Amino acid sequence: MTTPQPRRHFTLDDTPEAAVDAEAPLRQREAFAGTSEHHPLAPLAEEKALPAASLGAPRKRRWGLLFALAGGAALGTAELVTGIPDALAQSHWLEMAWQLFGISLIGLGAFSLLKELGRLRRLKRHDKLRGNLAELPLRSPKQARAMAEQLRRQLKLADDDPHWLAFQRASQPHHSGEEIQTLLRYHLLAPRDREAQRLITRMSGETAIMVAISPLTLVDMALVAWRSLAMVDRLCRLYGLELGYASRLRLFRNVLHNMAFAGTSELAADASMDMLSLDLAGRLSARAGQGLATGLLSARLGLRAQRLCRPVPFTADEQPKIADLRQDLWRQIKQLDKDKVPQNR
Amino acid sequence: MRQPLSRELSNLLERGRDRQLRLAVTGLSQAGKTAFLTSLVNQLRHAGVEARLDLLPAAREGRLLGAQRLNQPDLGVPRFPYDPGMAALRDTPPRWPEPTRGISELRLQLRYRPARSGWLTPEIAHLTLDLFDYPGEWLLDLPLLQHDFYSWSKAQALYAGEQRRGLFSDWLAAVEQLDPASEADEAQLATLAEEYAQGLRRAKQAGFSDLQPGRFLLPGELEGAPVLQFFPLPQLNSSHHATSKEALDALPANSLYATLAARFRYYQQQVVKPFYRDHFRRFDRQIVLVDVLGALNAGPERFEDLSRALRQLMHSFDYGKRSLLTRLFAPKIDRLAIAATKADHVTPDQHGNVVQLLEALLAEPLKDLRFANVPVKALSLASIRATEAREVTHEGKRSPALRGTTLEGEEVLVYPGDVPARLPTADFWQQQGFDFPGFRPMQANSEALDHIRMDAAIDWLLGDKLT
Repeated sequence: MTTPQPRRHFTLDDTPEAAVDAEAPLRQREAFAGTSEHHPLAPLAEEKALPAASLGAPRKRRWGLLFALAGGAALGTAELVTGIPDALAQSHWLEMAWQLFGISLIGLGAFSLLKELGRLRRLKRHDKLRGNLAELPLRSPKQARAMAEQLRRQLKLADDDPHWLAFQRASQPHHSGEEIQTLLRYHLLAPRDREAQRLITRMSGETAIMVAISPLTLVDMALVAWRSLAMVDRLCRLYGLELGYASRLRLFRNVLHNMAFAGTSELAADASMDMLSLDLAGRLSARAGQGLATGLLSARLGLRAQRLCRPVPFTADEQPKIADLRQDLWRQIKQLDKDKVPQNR
Repeated sequence: MRQPLSRELSNLLERGRDRQLRLAVTGLSQAGKTAFLTSLVNQLRHAGVEARLDLLPAAREGRLLGAQRLNQPDLGVPRFPYDPGMAALRDTPPRWPEPTRGISELRLQLRYRPARSGWLTPEIAHLTLDLFDYPGEWLLDLPLLQHDFYSWSKAQALYAGEQRRGLFSDWLAAVEQLDPASEADEAQLATLAEEYAQGLRRAKQAGFSDLQPGRFLLPGELEGAPVLQFFPLPQLNSSHHATSKEALDALPANSLYATLAARFRYYQQQVVKPFYRDHFRRFDRQIVLVDVLGALNAGPERFEDLSRALRQLMHSFDYGKRSLLTRLFAPKIDRLAIAATKADHVTPDQHGNVVQLLEALLAEPLKDLRFANVPVKALSLASIRATEAREVTHEGKRSPALRGTTLEGEEVLVYPGDVPARLPTADFWQQQGFDFPGFRPMQANSEALDHIRMDAAIDWLLGDKLT
């Protein structure tokens, strides 16, 4: 919205501003020699990256924070190290112990930071593999086979894992990239998908029940946050992704970003059913309604996380839907209510 | 051939429930129809046990329980010779099944467990599959139905290509002397027709495809009948001959033109139409087999010839969506696969190119199919695999190769050359590096035949019914 402008008066001999840029000169005809260098008209790299293709919000590097941390660590180490000879000469043992302690603390910090960075790299590699596997139909059979091997390593399957063996038995040298992708989906990913589905159902069901019976709202919130994190963690491990602190944070942010912006249309489609089940649950008791609401949210979170972690993106018809989980949740809540009734009497 | 009412009724019921499919296996002669059918029956019979059908979800998930041959509905038609075909493949040394010389039918019953259990779905469902084999030579009679004698004569590619013209030179020289208005001479007609038939047979030998009428090549029970004594008049096509169609039609009944036209009409009405009506109208699914590689191997003229024959052919089928009504009374082909056969004759890395070339070859019919909104899938397949894909290290470079036994019994290791991904240009033909020998089938080591992408073809043709 533009801000409303106050009334202004112009004199007649003022030149209108708009006229200035309307008069841009037309470009003359130009002939190029046939030998001059040219290339096909292709979109630039930054134009090609569609907003939907990049996960999460645009990244910004925190150079200031990085500078403060690195500078502090370096200066602190230098200070502590140079202090040691003095302390040794003057036999200040306690001071020296403190200095040694400080150095090891910085060392530990740096070590875990490096580990975090390594895990972040692994998340990035996972993303790259995901991209590659999605493009499998365009690859030659040989490249596709190499990528299947890469996926096996990512999923941490042994050479004699039954799923991998089944895949190898099924794949033939003449299979194209697309066919290999189909086989990978079926032999390597489908068992994990089923496992993930079970996990999401179980954990969101438990979350729902916990919220339904927990007496304190504050405890509820902590519980839900903790359990959701744990669920995302386990889902990732199922798809061969080990999360560190930073990578977990980033993935979680991606999941939430995805839920907030990408999934809203699906949300609208599901909303009516959700409302209905919430209404039904609310009739049972207010707490059951709350529990179901939390459970649904948790399940939705789980599905999003699964979608982001899965090395090969889901096709439209194999994508698990919240509707599949709702019934289970509902059953669990009802079960709870039935169990509760006899206790009260 | 009319069917008894009760059988018609039960067929209608099955169709209505969508539990019966009629699969058209279309292909010119030598395209591999018989091998495809033999392999199809073999794979379905052994599905779930030995057959490797990994690209067919129903088989991959273990839901396809197998298939059995049923008694075919029409007792007047011979049964498809599956057992003799298998016996030939199992022979030492293995042989290809005999080429088809007449029509035959086969009815298979597939049993499978539905993927989703519901109120109405039974625990084990079945699907009846009707298959039909016929000589590919007769297939080219179908486009003939759209013509009358005048337009047919004009449409014949008698002067196309040097080699082809060479094969017909004697007949052409003789027939060009004829005057359409002159009185027909029975004996002369018979000799000329025989010469024309011989020309067609020679062209067939030489690897040409666009040969009409098909019964001249394989007369079946019509051997020597006067209905086969006609031929196109090439002079109708030449520009210096300016007789209009009306003037020709007005010629007396005993004139040469009128006699030939009458026989053409008879052939159309009494030979082609019944064949079309009895066997070709009622199809639900179709697979078109094309021997692209064979044509590529044979040279530019035969390739062009194949392309022309296929273009004509694809117009002869009904395509479109199936509704309940059409399913019952006028089945239409609602799914189509086009397949380049003998894919085992090139290395796996060339399969993509083979499919692209096939699509380029059928570009015109594919456009029409797209317009009719019929889903089409192009694939490369080998019904019965005759080679093994290997990799050789030659002069320090690794390159793919094929190992197989040629028809003469010599074991070879070859790289047949690159397949162009587009319609080959004159350059390609001049410096053509593409050449493969004929292979004989591999010695069998299991009950199920080795194949390339038969599972993908089955999935496309039947997969949606096996859910």
